[in-house]
Amino acid sequence: MNGAVWEAAGGPPVKVETSRETTAEGSDAWPAGAAAMIRARSAAGELCPEAEILNLLPEGPVAVPEMARRGGLGGEFLGRLLNENADLHRLCGAGSPCYYSDRHMTAAYSRLLLHKQEGPLRLIAETVRCYCREFRRPLALAVFAQAPFDLEQPVLREYLARMSQTEEYDDIAMVTTSEAGIYLYATSCLEHKHAEMLAEWLDVGQDRNP
Amino acid sequence: MSGYGGWAGKVLRVDLSTGRIWAEDTIERYRDYLGGTGIGYKVMWDEVPAGTKPYDPENRIVFAVGPLAGTGVPCNGRMAVTTLWPTCWPVPLVASGHMGGQLAAKLKYAGYDAVVIQGKASRPVWLMIADQKVELHDARRIWGQGTRSATAAIAEIMGQDTVVAAIGPAGENLVPMSVLISSVSHSAGGVGAVMGAKNLKAIGVRGTGSIRIAGRKEDWEKLIKYHLSLLGANNQHVVPNTPQPWAEFYDPKSRWNAARGRRWGAAGHRVDTGTCDPRDTNRIAYRSNLAAFFLGDNAWKYTVRGNGCTSCPIRCHTLLKVPSVTAKYGIPAVGQNTCVGLYFGSAFFRKLPDGPRGMQSLEACMVGIHLADDLGIWCNYGQLQRDFRKLYYDGTIKRKLDAGEFASYSWDKYERGDPAFLFELLPRIAGKEGELGTSLGLGTGYLLARWGLDEAAWGAEKETGYWKMGHPRHHGPEEAGQCGLLVNLMYNRDAQCHSHTNFLRNGLPLPVQKQLAAELWGAPEAVDGLGDYRPMHPAKARMAKWALLRKELHDSLSLCNWMGPWAASPLRERGYRGDNSLESMLYTLATGDKKDRADLDAVGERILLLHRALTIRGMGTGEMRTRHDLVPAWVFADPGGDRPYTKGATHLERDDVRVALDMFYDELGWDRATGAPTRKTYRKFGLDDVAAALSKQNLVPR
Repeated sequence: MNGAVWEAAGGPPVKVETSRETTAEGSDAWPAGAAAMIRARSAAGELCPEAEILNLLPEGPVAVPEMARRGGLGGEFLGRLLNENADLHRLCGAGSPCYYSDRHMTAAYSRLLLHKQEGPLRLIAETVRCYCREFRRPLALAVFAQAPFDLEQPVLREYLARMSQTEEYDDIAMVTTSEAGIYLYATSCLEHKHAEMLAEWLDVGQDRNP
Repeated sequence: MSGYGGWAGKVLRVDLSTGRIWAEDTIERYRDYLGGTGIGYKVMWDEVPAGTKPYDPENRIVFAVGPLAGTGVPCNGRMAVTTLWPTCWPVPLVASGHMGGQLAAKLKYAGYDAVVIQGKASRPVWLMIADQKVELHDARRIWGQGTRSATAAIAEIMGQDTVVAAIGPAGENLVPMSVLISSVSHSAGGVGAVMGAKNLKAIGVRGTGSIRIAGRKEDWEKLIKYHLSLLGANNQHVVPNTPQPWAEFYDPKSRWNAARGRRWGAAGHRVDTGTCDPRDTNRIAYRSNLAAFFLGDNAWKYTVRGNGCTSCPIRCHTLLKVPSVTAKYGIPAVGQNTCVGLYFGSAFFRKLPDGPRGMQSLEACMVGIHLADDLGIWCNYGQLQRDFRKLYYDGTIKRKLDAGEFASYSWDKYERGDPAFLFELLPRIAGKEGELGTSLGLGTGYLLARWGLDEAAWGAEKETGYWKMGHPRHHGPEEAGQCGLLVNLMYNRDAQCHSHTNFLRNGLPLPVQKQLAAELWGAPEAVDGLGDYRPMHPAKARMAKWALLRKELHDSLSLCNWMGPWAASPLRERGYRGDNSLESMLYTLATGDKKDRADLDAVGERILLLHRALTIRGMGTGEMRTRHDLVPAWVFADPGGDRPYTKGATHLERDDVRVALDMFYDELGWDRATGAPTRKTYRKFGLDDVAAALSKQNLVPR
């Protein structure tokens, strides 16, 4: 048997780290504490805002540039944090920069959380664009009522109405299936006829071909 | 018995006509056919001559498992039941049903790889297998009972650790659309009446032995862990259905529907399925909730847990507790099933007051689960319900029934989606009562013939889901292009092949699927995007052949082809690769019979070839291409008038299908003109005797 292949299968289950070294002393200990915090947040399915990381910075003999404490775009310590921890990544969106660990969270999920911070319309639009680009399929509106999107079902249609009147979302289109399922797609990725067929199959046909 | 591991070593033989019970050596007669359907086809070839009818005493019913049944291999709980298929139209031919649960393992623990039943008992009997003690018992006291009470009665005699497979009134009454039920909800469709014709009510199995594994314990454990590491969710879907922190991809149609906050609401204690990271193999059982997948999110609230087969961590039979149905319909609040069995009841209705995923739908499902499984009625992969809906709404039922019988049904209840209607319909199917009950119980082909309806016209309408020979398509061309078409041509009932669709629905984006396809079938063109089908390519023929061989291997080894193959995995670090050699690795280590993937695939091909030979002999013609491998008209039709192979078109083009058949027959070494295997091919797979027998009837291409 090919033992090498088995070993490559992934090893033991991932252990979720939950310790937080928030009282680290000195500049040498700080990156480790910050890294642990980011990993714990990622394991919990959350991004870690830069401001929270900077709050861990030690006061005292080792002065930290005020620039870094304010967040900005990095600073010596944040740069060191990323350099010394290859699993950590920084994300910049419309709001404050955030961090995540790829030990516990994929880039795809982190981007989704970032878009969530940017408001429901942008979350819907970016998610649909990304999904259509990747899968060449429309996405059911009902998905947005589920975690991690967590949009309220009753207001989803209201969001769609607002999107239809916003130029920024001109590329987001909708199809309705024979069972009244609503599917969204990006016109840059899918032709309408194809989107219609796919939505009907995904919403109705596939359930009849289980 | 030789030194092989895996196999129990004996095939139990029972002649109900004479009461004789004996055993044969498995290895001597059947090693080259592995087990399961392989043994089934071999017995049918050797012992059941062409022209035999399903209910003739000469027909055999073969319960067979494979060398992996009852071991620690994941998903090994499948029992193949092979016989002449009563719903196969217009001529009953060989086919098999595959049931899960605990029966396969118990039979092995009792010391048997198969039970072959022949003859006909002079009065109702049930077969007791308690290790080496095998006896026929009088079943008159349980004849007429549903599967539930018959099972309980036998378990009371044999002990609580007994597994019982029983038929209900439908099987007793020789209703072709009948099943055999074991482990509460596991069924082999289509075979109930064959047992009924033999006056065999049930088989009870208690086994206390064990199975020897030929390989070293450490290697075996390592291989099992490796297999577990590659497992996805139900149907080997390898991405979750909502975004999860660990996942690069998600697919809302994935059956991996665990997520933080999704709870088994009727469990005795709070059970949150969690995110189910794929590297945590201790939580595989939480990944899929089939009731929630099929019946809607409402089902989470009523979920007790997942149930399933021996050594299978997927647990696809969801146990539900719906208290309201007891008061309303007088049925138990707890019930379980999976896939089409879950919505057996609701599928009869075109309209339900709160929609297909509302509470009334859930209650209809519970009614359907209890009634159908207790009466032992088969749905033929939902064809029964699709036929019923069409026949009612196009007015056929009203035309075909006399006024009195028509008025005896509460059609107002039916149109309202009232589950109480099922209490009027299903018992009459099981009891062959009236024209409607009798006709629905025949199966589609015979029903259409009885009512003078055109079978070809039935197949022209996509909504009927009908394919051919009395049976529906099962993962066909609308989702799998030419590969789906080819797979659906091969069998004498619905194809029951999930190899191809488990890959195509695994949730990975097309570029990843194409990468894996190139490795598995030699070219990325083996797979197309959904609804973006391209003309035939040789890699598609190779994929179709692979799909069929994996199915035959699984059905013969006792692996579950609903869960496997494991060609893809949820592991990003492996590039989502599964392992196409798992079957041969497991087989080799379990039995000690060293076979690599190509060797074992050759055995799978021999089994498929024998099935083809049985079909040719049964039909009395070698013209398979024009007489058997038939494609319904809906495959070529597009309601919008679009050209095939344009985006959004799911229909195929006739010339391209001809090319597909040519390439497929070439892959299998079958004659292009007739679709019949050549003498050279029979010889290649050690079936010279089969070729010789067929040649005498001019059934081998010259």
